[in-house]
Amino acid sequence: MTDTRHDYDALASLYLPIAAAVVLLVLLLVVAFAWRYRARPAHEGRRPSRTHRAPRTEALYVLVLAAVAALLLWRTFTVEARTDRDASGAGVQVSVTAAKWHWRFEYPRAGIVQRGTDEHPPTLVVPANRTVDFTLRSLDVIHAFWIPQRRFKRDATPGFTSSFSLVFPDTGFRRDGGECSEFCGLRHTWMKFHVRVLTPDAFARWMRARQSGAAA
Amino acid sequence: MTAVDVPRSSTIRPHRGLVGTLASTDHKALGAGLFVTAFAFFLAAGVLALLMRFELARPHLQLMTLHGYDELFTLHGSTMFYLFATPIAMAAGVYLVPLQIGAARLRWARLGLAAWWMVIGGGLCMWLGFLTEQGAADVGWYAYVPLSDMPNSPSIGTDYWIIGVILAAGAAIALAACVLATIVTERAPGMTMLRLPVFSWTMVVSCLMVLTAFPALIVAMALLLAQRQWGGVYTGSAGAFDYQHLFWFFGHPVVYVVFFPFLGAVAEAIATFSGRRWFGYKPFVVSLLLFAALSMSVWGHHMFTTSSVENRYFSLTSTALLVPAGIEYFDALATMWRGRIRLATPMLFALGFLVLFVIGGVTGIFVGSPPLDYHVTDSYFIVAHFHYTLFGGSVMGLFTAIYLWWPKVTGTLLSERLGRWHFWLTMIGMNLTFFPMFFLGWDGMPRRVADYPAGTSWSTLNALSSAGSALLAVSVLVFLWNVRRSWRRRVPAGPDPWGAQTLEWATESPPPRENFVGALPPVRSYAPLQDLREQRELEAQPA
Repeated sequence: MTDTRHDYDALASLYLPIAAAVVLLVLLLVVAFAWRYRARPAHEGRRPSRTHRAPRTEALYVLVLAAVAALLLWRTFTVEARTDRDASGAGVQVSVTAAKWHWRFEYPRAGIVQRGTDEHPPTLVVPANRTVDFTLRSLDVIHAFWIPQRRFKRDATPGFTSSFSLVFPDTGFRRDGGECSEFCGLRHTWMKFHVRVLTPDAFARWMRARQSGAAA
Repeated sequence: MTAVDVPRSSTIRPHRGLVGTLASTDHKALGAGLFVTAFAFFLAAGVLALLMRFELARPHLQLMTLHGYDELFTLHGSTMFYLFATPIAMAAGVYLVPLQIGAARLRWARLGLAAWWMVIGGGLCMWLGFLTEQGAADVGWYAYVPLSDMPNSPSIGTDYWIIGVILAAGAAIALAACVLATIVTERAPGMTMLRLPVFSWTMVVSCLMVLTAFPALIVAMALLLAQRQWGGVYTGSAGAFDYQHLFWFFGHPVVYVVFFPFLGAVAEAIATFSGRRWFGYKPFVVSLLLFAALSMSVWGHHMFTTSSVENRYFSLTSTALLVPAGIEYFDALATMWRGRIRLATPMLFALGFLVLFVIGGVTGIFVGSPPLDYHVTDSYFIVAHFHYTLFGGSVMGLFTAIYLWWPKVTGTLLSERLGRWHFWLTMIGMNLTFFPMFFLGWDGMPRRVADYPAGTSWSTLNALSSAGSALLAVSVLVFLWNVRRSWRRRVPAGPDPWGAQTLEWATESPPPRENFVGALPPVRSYAPLQDLREQRELEAQPA
């Protein structure tokens, strides 16, 4: 069971502090050097340094850079192995279809279909803390299935079915909690869906209610 | 040939006026003409950006239709890449490289001239779409298949646009060939490849990348045109993925094509205004070549979320880019170290480049990690990231180049006071425009949307960003005012107002038709004028 948001946050909390440190270091050195070595009338006679190579220092520095790259890649590969693991097939099955400019969610085992209209996007309903196995496809152009709260996105390419698993730990309703993030033409701006995460019991009740014909 | 000694009076009198300008094979006239053309496209694409920021300043649609917005971001991105950034980088090379290497001419100048016309023609093709019934191209600057296929995007403006892109790409290839051929065959005596000035080296790698990457763009676009007319080219999911591979094999290298020359300009400025020659020249040259080679192998990171590429491979190559990039920064800072720094306008923009580009760089490493990219790709985070590289890097580097070489090209000086205003307005406006976008994207705002929900933090962040874009517009007006003022006052610059280091500063400003009159200074390193200066100092010292 992979909590993509948790993994994302863990990885980002390695990358971002390094990124911030590098930016601050460059800013600090640029300002410090521009101040410390600026041309002053009092130093008219002082000649700038003539040293213009330091191969050993640079070689050592390259090793440091390579080590940083290696660390980042190691963590990235570890996390990605989890995120990209194929759908187990054991979770709740949801088949997602994207077409200009709507989403459709099918629960093949229960025979439920969630559709929307231009004014009212459909709602993706999932159980909390259960693996949800998605298959994703598109009927026309390339769309992308994005749930920002889960820190996850996948392209929907016509003629190609991709599959992935997500877990939703927090129950609740998120208006426009899912979006199309690949530009897909005129109404791309408004191609969204809602996300409702129910407790497993409530999810089972919702499924039974939908099967017996009641509205979502 | 010990001295470049071309007779000053040619038997054929050059044309004057419009014909003379549009038909000159003098690399300086050609370079300047191409530069002005590309800068005009920068202003035009900037106006499109302002219109988008006006629309996004508040939620809901105010100024335009959804379709109008699609045309704006398509033409903004493609104008910036195809008609502004690439041509202006090549224009700088066409103008400056022959001077830097002590040559009298550009090789294959007529081919270069044809390229300028192709840029103008390509630009007209792309922009004339606005006059057609269904409007200009509306498929985004990378025009993914099948969205860009005829059934999904039937406007004729899109066909014009494809032809325009092909013309502009052909022009880039022709210009790169001219500059590279010049460097290979026209170098002055003593100017070995390892004495090539830093800017000229950055042009070498940039041109090599154009010659390798742009043919893929022409193929992608020509096939797209065929697909739209007859179909059967890009079919099914394989066709969609193939198009992306072809496109990004060009589309990623292009951001380095429009980065390296400006890195070169920044390097020349930092060396000159620190009173020191560029630090670590040989490792720098090696790292440039490594940088270029590596950046030809990272295109798949644009396709992490497609499930059709080997993500680990492209993550590895993309992350490895931090090594050559780190070397460039080391050399820049080491050049400033124990220098004698003058904060003239070109130096201010060069330092601004260092500070802003690193933000684009570290966020680039961030999105080079697939699990992180899954969230932020195609969001405003990416928009922020690549504007820090393209505006913070290329445009800041472009202004470094303009302020640095303006005296050489025009023979006049720009106002330092207005230059400082321009710099600080750009710094503030740039960060105000693009930094909020990191938060917007992280928080879930996709790119290429004309509307967003009201009543969230997105309204404030978008309003800030739009205010920043207005400030950027003011900064460009200050620059144009500076240009106008310099044009009117004509304060003579002299051959070398900055105490610079390379050969172009050893001739008059502006340089005569044949570039150098009389003997060139001896070329014993990549900074021949700095050699002379240090030698004079040595001789002046009491024994």
